[in-house]
Amino acid sequence: MDDQWKIDIDAIAKYSANLPEVEMVKNLGIKPRLNVETLIETINSRKLERLVIAGDMPGYYKPVFTKAMAKTGGNVDEVRLASFQEHGAKNGQSLDRAKAIIACATMAVPFSLAAVPGGNPVNHSTLVIGAGIAGIQASLEIANAGKQVYLIEQSGTIGGHMAMFDKTFPTLDCAACILTPKMVDVGQHEMINLMTRAKVVSVGGKPGAYKVKIRQKARRVDVKSCVACGLCVDACPVKVKSEFDAGISIRKAIYIPFPQAVPNTYLIDEEHCRYVLNDGEKCGVCVRKCPKDCIHLDEEDATVDVEVGNVILATGYELLDISKIDQYGYGKFPNVVTSLEFERLTNASGSTGGRIVTKIKQYNRKTKQDEWVFSPEGVPPRSVAIIHCVGSRNKKYNAYCSRVCCMYSLKFAHLIKEKIPNVNVYEFYIDMRAFGKGYEEFAERIREEGTYIIRGHSASVVMNKNQMVVRGEDIFNDRLVEFDVDMVVLAVGLVPSQGTEELSRLLGVQRDVDGWFSELDYNGSPTDTDKGGIYVAGMCQAPKDIPDTVAQASAVAAGVLRSLTSGQGIGSMSSLTLSEIEEKAKTVHAI
Amino acid sequence: METKNNLKIGVYVCNCGTNIAKIVDAVAVAEYAQTLPNVVLAKTYKYMCSNPGQEMIAQDIKENELDRVVVAACSPNMHERTFRAALRMAGLNQYLLEMANIREQCSWVHKDRREATKKAMALVHAAVLRVEKHEALESMAVDMSPNVLVIGGGIAGMTAALELADAGYFVHLVEKNNQLGGNIARIDLTAPYFYSARDLLTERISRTKSHKRIKVHLDSKVTDLSGFVGNFKANIYNLNGVPENEKEVEVQIGNVAICTGYQEFDASRITHFGYGKMPNVITSFELEKMLRAGKVETKEGKIPKYIAIIHCVGSRNKEFHTYCSRVCCMTALKYAHEIKSANPECYVSDVYIDMHAFGKGHEDFYRQSSQAKTLFLMYDKEHRPVIHKAGSKDDCEMIIEVHERLSGEHIEIPADMVVLMVGMEARDDAHEVAHLTNISQDKDGWFIESHPKLEPVATTTDGIFIAGTCVAPKDIPDTVAQARAAAARILARISRGKIEVDAVYSEVNVDLCSGCRFCNDLCPYNAIEFKEEEGLSHVISVLCKACGVCVASCPSSAIKGRHFTDHQVLAQIDGLFNNVDYELDEPVK
Amino acid sequence: MAIRVNPSFIDDLSRYGAEDVQLCYQCGDCSTICSHADDIYKFPRKSMRQLQMGLEQRIETTLEPWLCYYCGQCSEQCPREADPGESMMSLRRWLISKYDFTGIARQFFKSKTSEILAVILIALVTGIFLMFYGISGGSIHIYDGEGAFLPSQFIHKFDLTIGSIMAIFLLINSIRMWYFTMIKGVLIPVPWWLYLKELYELPLHFFTQKRYAECESNGKQHLHMPWLIHLGLMLGYVTMLLLVLVFVEPLQAGPEIRWSVHIFAYMATIGLLSGTIYFIRNRFKKNYTQYKKSHSTDWVFVVLLFFIVLTGIFQHVFHRTGLYEWANITYVIHLMAVVPWLLRMPFSKWAHLAYRPLAMYFAAIQKAAYERQELLVDSVSITIK
Repeated sequence: MDDQWKIDIDAIAKYSANLPEVEMVKNLGIKPRLNVETLIETINSRKLERLVIAGDMPGYYKPVFTKAMAKTGGNVDEVRLASFQEHGAKNGQSLDRAKAIIACATMAVPFSLAAVPGGNPVNHSTLVIGAGIAGIQASLEIANAGKQVYLIEQSGTIGGHMAMFDKTFPTLDCAACILTPKMVDVGQHEMINLMTRAKVVSVGGKPGAYKVKIRQKARRVDVKSCVACGLCVDACPVKVKSEFDAGISIRKAIYIPFPQAVPNTYLIDEEHCRYVLNDGEKCGVCVRKCPKDCIHLDEEDATVDVEVGNVILATGYELLDISKIDQYGYGKFPNVVTSLEFERLTNASGSTGGRIVTKIKQYNRKTKQDEWVFSPEGVPPRSVAIIHCVGSRNKKYNAYCSRVCCMYSLKFAHLIKEKIPNVNVYEFYIDMRAFGKGYEEFAERIREEGTYIIRGHSASVVMNKNQMVVRGEDIFNDRLVEFDVDMVVLAVGLVPSQGTEELSRLLGVQRDVDGWFSELDYNGSPTDTDKGGIYVAGMCQAPKDIPDTVAQASAVAAGVLRSLTSGQGIGSMSSLTLSEIEEKAKTVHAI
Repeated sequence: METKNNLKIGVYVCNCGTNIAKIVDAVAVAEYAQTLPNVVLAKTYKYMCSNPGQEMIAQDIKENELDRVVVAACSPNMHERTFRAALRMAGLNQYLLEMANIREQCSWVHKDRREATKKAMALVHAAVLRVEKHEALESMAVDMSPNVLVIGGGIAGMTAALELADAGYFVHLVEKNNQLGGNIARIDLTAPYFYSARDLLTERISRTKSHKRIKVHLDSKVTDLSGFVGNFKANIYNLNGVPENEKEVEVQIGNVAICTGYQEFDASRITHFGYGKMPNVITSFELEKMLRAGKVETKEGKIPKYIAIIHCVGSRNKEFHTYCSRVCCMTALKYAHEIKSANPECYVSDVYIDMHAFGKGHEDFYRQSSQAKTLFLMYDKEHRPVIHKAGSKDDCEMIIEVHERLSGEHIEIPADMVVLMVGMEARDDAHEVAHLTNISQDKDGWFIESHPKLEPVATTTDGIFIAGTCVAPKDIPDTVAQARAAAARILARISRGKIEVDAVYSEVNVDLCSGCRFCNDLCPYNAIEFKEEEGLSHVISVLCKACGVCVASCPSSAIKGRHFTDHQVLAQIDGLFNNVDYELDEPVK
Repeated sequence: MAIRVNPSFIDDLSRYGAEDVQLCYQCGDCSTICSHADDIYKFPRKSMRQLQMGLEQRIETTLEPWLCYYCGQCSEQCPREADPGESMMSLRRWLISKYDFTGIARQFFKSKTSEILAVILIALVTGIFLMFYGISGGSIHIYDGEGAFLPSQFIHKFDLTIGSIMAIFLLINSIRMWYFTMIKGVLIPVPWWLYLKELYELPLHFFTQKRYAECESNGKQHLHMPWLIHLGLMLGYVTMLLLVLVFVEPLQAGPEIRWSVHIFAYMATIGLLSGTIYFIRNRFKKNYTQYKKSHSTDWVFVVLLFFIVLTGIFQHVFHRTGLYEWANITYVIHLMAVVPWLLRMPFSKWAHLAYRPLAMYFAAIQKAAYERQELLVDSVSITIK
């Protein structure tokens, strides 16, 4: 019943017709226009006692069937759904799954009750992919239960995006204060085997006993003997944009991601290190400078093989590629910044020590030209515009809502007001999505603080004789507005992080249309996946705020611990054969 | 007791990013601390709680043989555990630490840099004098009962129970009503994908009932909960149990998961919606019933031509509840679609404030509803719509008057049926549960989690966990996730077998106790028993929460609060009253 | 005074072409991007809103649709693909039928068959009438002068009659437009002299269509052409109309070419030809947003016009090359197209020729009136409280 329909509908129809108790099968086609009278007529003529609507989203059509059933005096509870999408029959391959779903529906047995894979033995160690707040939380939950955890992280430090934040909405407590202790715990925990700069390269084995090959990039600095004196950094000639500072500050090719990083030792960025790039021909000055000679530039990458019973996906998100969207002049005007850049700018550990300033021109000796940079000498903006839904809720970019932007934008407004006296802050929004605990109250508070909250989404930022002008429609006051602003903050939408696609291939986990990992059952098991013993937590399943992420992270831990303590691993849905499910359904039906 | 004079105290002043440093001159505070007796070193750092910060402390303890540590940072609630860990790491008894709260109680509440800095100095001084009097204490470990009590038989309760039972532990599931399912049992389809809530529930219920490690107590409520984490005793009272002698059972459990859910807002409280007076003004749950029965009709039995859905009834409004109920928007869209699906010729107007379509698949669902020609009308949350009867020549039963914000018009909406999207609110009996389990509620009656972000399912009472819509409104996926999170917490604790109890409690000096028994009745945790034979009161340390009531009440000052001895508190007070003179060396920012 | 929303309105509107108007979630991007939206005339967003809610009292009094030249940028920008540009277009169609008191326009817009039938019918009647007249009075072998098949004096009278019928209808509809927009629509007093003061706007916009040119201001180059072509088409059309109504006799005289009149005729023809071809081509290729959706009336409009131009050229050529019989026949065919075209004018898209400049004129008057009342606020100085 959907455009991207691939399953062989006729095969399903034939199968269904042969099921016991099935009186008739009708192919409604794509996006049917259903008429109550004809339905009533069919029900009466064929004396139907149970209706099964099968399709991607059959519930969509249920009310009209229910109505027909009621009109004929039948039992409305006997209108059953065979919901393919809900139970993971999403593509051509899952024909059998679709059949099973229908079989269950005809017997009035919930699919999730009939289809329970598992019972396989489980390896007692767990692999957690991604060490953001979700990965950290999940790892700690499991490790605290005394179980072995391999926590792998692509970057040089754990902490993920949350470590980059200054304050967190709506309570405004500082992210570092609540995150860094957890990071410390992870770093010190005897049950957690932390691997930074590591990636999954191949996955073998089966649920309960996955064989995972992990490639760990060489750190090229001896973690034990390094005392972080920093001489190497002063010596290193290579300047690179700091990933942790969202590119608004500079780091060297040998660096510590940020002062509170875990593990808190230096590492070599092999993609920029002059020595590595030239196969040892050039540079190597850091080695000469190092008093404890703990820098080994020729260190090789290592591959580690681990065998784990469960795998937790916590790969998180990244910002939508803003260069796609030109109308706000990002990249063209120096003081148009993304939400993440602003987050770093306002952060106490950021390049301006938390002062919110506009960029200043600075001469770059290398490129021989001026470039705009944030520096503590910069002047604070007199007025700032914050534009919501940049690339979100937009058919051209992300059709979906990124869920957190409204709230962090309001938080930005608060921080700006707090740090800069009599500054004007304009929020351009479409719908103010303050849905969480204490969010609505927070939004009210920001309003009372005197931030101009404008219902209407600005579509353009232009430069008008060296003065940025943001144009928008103030719908509630029925006027078009133009504000002179010194800084524009874009609440950029969120997309799955780069590795997501590859991981879904390696692990055989499905993804939804927007690229996020698909959960096994939207309502019933939001953190399990189709694949046994593989779980999703946090942003990589769909955008969500910190509390929801943490809740999910703990939830997946439950799944893991359950399998470990009971010794009963969860198998893959796909491992179940059609006949198995049919049999199970029959037995359940009998009861 | 006397203090040694050759103590070595280390003082650590945290900047907490800018949280503290922006108001308090941390360096000055450290310099001041340096001048205090017995202080051998005083340092500042950006984030003392971070790895480098903790390691600095541990290293100093080792290198300079510190035997007392003062950390001037945030509230001990936040990080006392963190820094105690740091002390342990360095091999120092964790109770030889004192925290001076110069964030919540200083930098966050003051504007004047000079005054704030002086106060911070006083607080640090107090901490230094107090920590001199600290004694090394040993905390103890007690056994953890593997059984769990789950209160509430809704989707959250059942999910949590199943997780725990599947893991191999015994669960008592207590449900007040005569059937499992909670509020979801009233729903047929769920937004945004129209998945069947009934199938979900059938699965959960049949699994719960048939599970050999779950004892379901229907028509029951927990009447008493005593004991402490790992060793609770709960009385489960069957409301209409027969025979009489089986009415009440006592169960031994180690942890409690509270999943008591929500109740719907009573629409008749908003008088001018005329709910209860006008026949065709109905609540969302009543519409759900109609849809489920397959007949969406007015009370007069007519097929409505115009149906209006009003959002945020009882939510997002100062008069009733300021919070958003989180699920109503999507549910409203669901109804809009279901109505059109059942009666294609019907026009649906959706009167909303903000469209909260934030979850997976929500925004797309919102778009579909627009495509299906649902008319969305936006009103101001402080100016609610007004419903009144239509005139004789109108083609509809009722007229809804409202100021539509997007067009700026004062409009009339025709309606034959008005659906009120009633919000969620904390159950009336939530306070009973809160009292029973000794957890707190917020202004709206929702249970308070021990940390809104990092501890969404734990409470301030050890061993008591909360999940689902009794914490705050949320949809089914989030509820299920939370229920599992609670289960995870409990699983982790059970599998560790033992649980550590804080060494801070009060104890009775038998030589001084006169056996007056004042303290026995005053103790809010029933932690003091009276030993008849000796005629003395005795504190059961594991039950004691160290609130200090008994200490204050004892006429012969026979009770000592460990870690809160008179010496310690008085020393602290002395410190506070040391007047510091400090002038800003820099202009106020 | 509260105004009633009409949920069923968009069903009706979809017949005029707007299918996606209900998709709009009112972000206001379109108004922000539009180079014509200003402090008083905020569109397309607001118009979209009025359409969604079916506020007919508001819609019938708006000038906004006429101020939009459909550059299509709003539709390209729209995050929800609600196609504001097309909605404005449909709104214009709706207004044309609103202004028209006969209800014919409404009929035409709603059913393409009725329109085509009407055209064919009138064409046939005209054809038969002209044939009879020609055969009874003259000879098919003579094109001009004594015994001509269709003598120019007669054609002159004929044209004038048709022209005046058309003019009367158009005049009445224009007056209705004035009533809706200036009387019902404006709540503040408008002094009579403002009508004189702003009168220059009428010819200015009529002959330059400068607002169409302004559409470019958002830097989309391809918009340059439409404006020129459209202008050429329009001027060519007006010139030709003038020629046939006033100078038809010297125009028809021949075979030698009277450059004093024909030079205009040729230039007009070029304008018309290039215009019609350009627009037909675009509507086929759907290359720009504004040509993606073509209402049946749009097709009739361009195709019929193209046909008229073509037959006009043919009969001219035949006449000058001495093929008088052919010239006469093509002439009849030409007129068979012209008459329904002219008579259809007040009830069709064609009418925007008159409504657009009128709208600009009225808009200018309204603005002036608001300024007098000091109601006009400068958006830049606004701060929201």
